[in-house]
Amino acid sequence: MVNLIRRDVILQKKYLLTYIPFIVFFIIMESHPALTFLVASIFIPFNAFAYDEKAETNILLNSLPYTRKEIIAARYLGAIVYMVLAIGLTSLALLAFGEPFTMKDIAIGNSLFLLFAALTFPLFYILKSGHTFTVVLLSFLILAGIGPQIVIFLAERLTAITDFIARFSVSTLYTGAGVIVMVIYALSWGFTAFIYQRKAF
Amino acid sequence: MENVVELKNVAKKFKGFAVENINLEIKQGFVTGFMGENGAGKSTTIKMILNLLQPDAGEVKVFGLDYHSHEKAIKERIGFVYDGNVFFEGLNLKDIKRIVAPAYKRWDDDLFYKYIEQFELPLNKAIKTFSKGMQMKASLAIALSHHAELIILDEPTAGLDPIFRRELLDLLQELMVDGNRSIFFSTHITSDLDRIADYLAFIHKGELIFNQSVHEVAENYALVKGKLDLLDRDTEKAFVHIRRASTGFEALTDNSSEVKKTFGDRVVIERASLEDIMYYLKGGIHLG
Amino acid sequence: MQIIISNSSKEPIYEQITNQVKSAILTGELQEGAAIPSMRKLAKDLQISVITTKRAYEELEKSGFIYSIVGKGSFVAEQNLEVIREKKLHVIEEQLNAVITNSKEIGLSLDELQQLLTILYEE
Repeated sequence: MVNLIRRDVILQKKYLLTYIPFIVFFIIMESHPALTFLVASIFIPFNAFAYDEKAETNILLNSLPYTRKEIIAARYLGAIVYMVLAIGLTSLALLAFGEPFTMKDIAIGNSLFLLFAALTFPLFYILKSGHTFTVVLLSFLILAGIGPQIVIFLAERLTAITDFIARFSVSTLYTGAGVIVMVIYALSWGFTAFIYQRKAF
Repeated sequence: MENVVELKNVAKKFKGFAVENINLEIKQGFVTGFMGENGAGKSTTIKMILNLLQPDAGEVKVFGLDYHSHEKAIKERIGFVYDGNVFFEGLNLKDIKRIVAPAYKRWDDDLFYKYIEQFELPLNKAIKTFSKGMQMKASLAIALSHHAELIILDEPTAGLDPIFRRELLDLLQELMVDGNRSIFFSTHITSDLDRIADYLAFIHKGELIFNQSVHEVAENYALVKGKLDLLDRDTEKAFVHIRRASTGFEALTDNSSEVKKTFGDRVVIERASLEDIMYYLKGGIHLG
Repeated sequence: MQIIISNSSKEPIYEQITNQVKSAILTGELQEGAAIPSMRKLAKDLQISVITTKRAYEELEKSGFIYSIVGKGSFVAEQNLEVIREKKLHVIEEQLNAVITNSKEIGLSLDELQQLLTILYEE
C-alpha cells in the first residue's frame, strides 16, 4: 500500500521541480492563503491521475499483486498524505514570503480540497479513460476561476453561521465541518471502490 | 497440482462479442500456446485469467486458488508480458523497477540486473525511446525477476522482427528447463508455436475449438486430398471444412483415423500444419 | 550424446530421438548406467518442445532402454544385448524371406539379388 502511494512521487519526479515555483506563483499573485493551500494539495494527486492516463496503468496495477480495494485505498489515503505534506510545504513558503495565514485558512483550503477530491475522484473511474485530462483541466479552470469566490463566500457563511450559532464554540464548529467533509470523503471512497471492483480493463 | 490454470464453462459477454463456454487447462511445467486470429477472444481470456476481467459465468482457478479470496497470493506467482507497453513510458527502467519491485515479496534484484545485462537494456533511458523489441524484453525482464511460476505472454512476438522472435523463443525454452515453471503464450503467428508449444489451445470466434497436446493435435488433424466423387453426405461428416476445386477436394479433418478407415488408399492424407488448421477452421462451417 | 533432428522428415521427432538413442545403446556408444540428459535439457538443446522429449523418454522407458529416478535423472538400463540381437535377427530373417518371395515372383536370380543387396548395403 505504501508502495502504491510512493509510486505517485516516483512518477512525478520531474514535475516535483515545478511544485515549489507553482506554490510561490500563487503566493506572489497574492491569492487567498486558503486557495494556495487548496491548489498545493491538489497538485500531486491530480497530476497522478493525469499521468496514469498515459499508460495502461490500471492493467499494470491490477496485474501486480494488489487488490482493487488497495489500489483505491492508496488513492484516497495518498491524497491525505500528500495533503499533509502540502500543508507543511505551503506553510513554510508562506512564512518565507512573510505572508500571514491562519489555521482557519488551512482548514478551509484543505476541507475544500477533500470535498473537491471526494466529488471528482469517482469521475476518473466512471468516465472512459481519455476524458480524464479534460476533467482535470476543466475542474482546475473552474476552481481557479471561482475558487476565491467560493472561499470568500464560505468564509462569510462560516462567520454568519458562527454568529448564528454563537452558543457553539468555534472549535466545535470546525470539528463539525471537518467531520462532515470526512464523511463525504469516506462515502466517495466507498463509492469509488464499489465502481472499481466491477471495472473491466 | 497438474493444472496451474483451470477455466470451467467461463463466459463473458460484450456488445457485439462474447466468449462462451471456455474450458481451458494450462498444465504445470509445460508451454501452452494459445492461438487464434485477431479478435478471436485471446486477450479477453487472458484478462480473465489475470482477473482484469471478471467472467459473467463459470469458474477461474489459478494454482488451484480462486481470485475471490487469494488474489494477491495468485498474482505474486504470475509474471506477465502484454502486447504493448503497460509501463509508464516517460520513466526509465530503474524507476519502473522502483515501482514494481516492492509489489512482490519474492522480487530478486540480482536476477533483474542479470536479465538487464543479458538483454542489453539501458537502465537510464525512458521506455518510450525503446524499440518494440526492447520494450518486450524490458517487460520480460520484469516478469522474470520475481521467480514467477506462471508466465503469461499476450502476443509477445507481434511486431517483432524474426531475430527478436527467435531470441524470445530461445529464452522461453531456457526457462522451461525448470520443471516447475509454466508458460501461457498467445499468438496469431503459428510458427512461434511449432518449436516450443507442448499444448495447444485454439480459440475461434469466442469459442475454444480444442485444448490438446501437440501430439494429439498432430494425430487428430490432417489434410485430406482426393477426388470429388468420394464426397457424399455421409463421408463429408469426417471433415471440418472442405475446399472443392475442379481438380478434386482438399479438406481438414479432426478425426484422422476415421478418415483412414473410411477412404483407405483412395485419398492422400498429409500432416496439417497449425496454419492449415487455423485457415480451414476460420473459413469453415463445422459439418461434423 | 549426439542427436540429429530433421524437421522435414516424415518420421515424427520423438521417434527420431528414440531410434537414435536406441542405436547408440545397441552399438555400445552409450554404456549401461550412463546418465543421459534430462528431458528438459534435451528439449532446450534440440530446440524442440518438452512434451516431445518427454514422449521419447517414456517410450524408451517402456521398451526398457532407459530408466529414470525422480530428482536424479535418466540412465541407460541394463541391456540383454544377446536377446535384443536375436530378436533383431529374427526380424531380419522374416524381411529377407519376403524379399526372396518377391524376387522369385519376377524371376530374379540369387546372384542378381546378392548384387542388388551389395549395392544397397554399401550405399
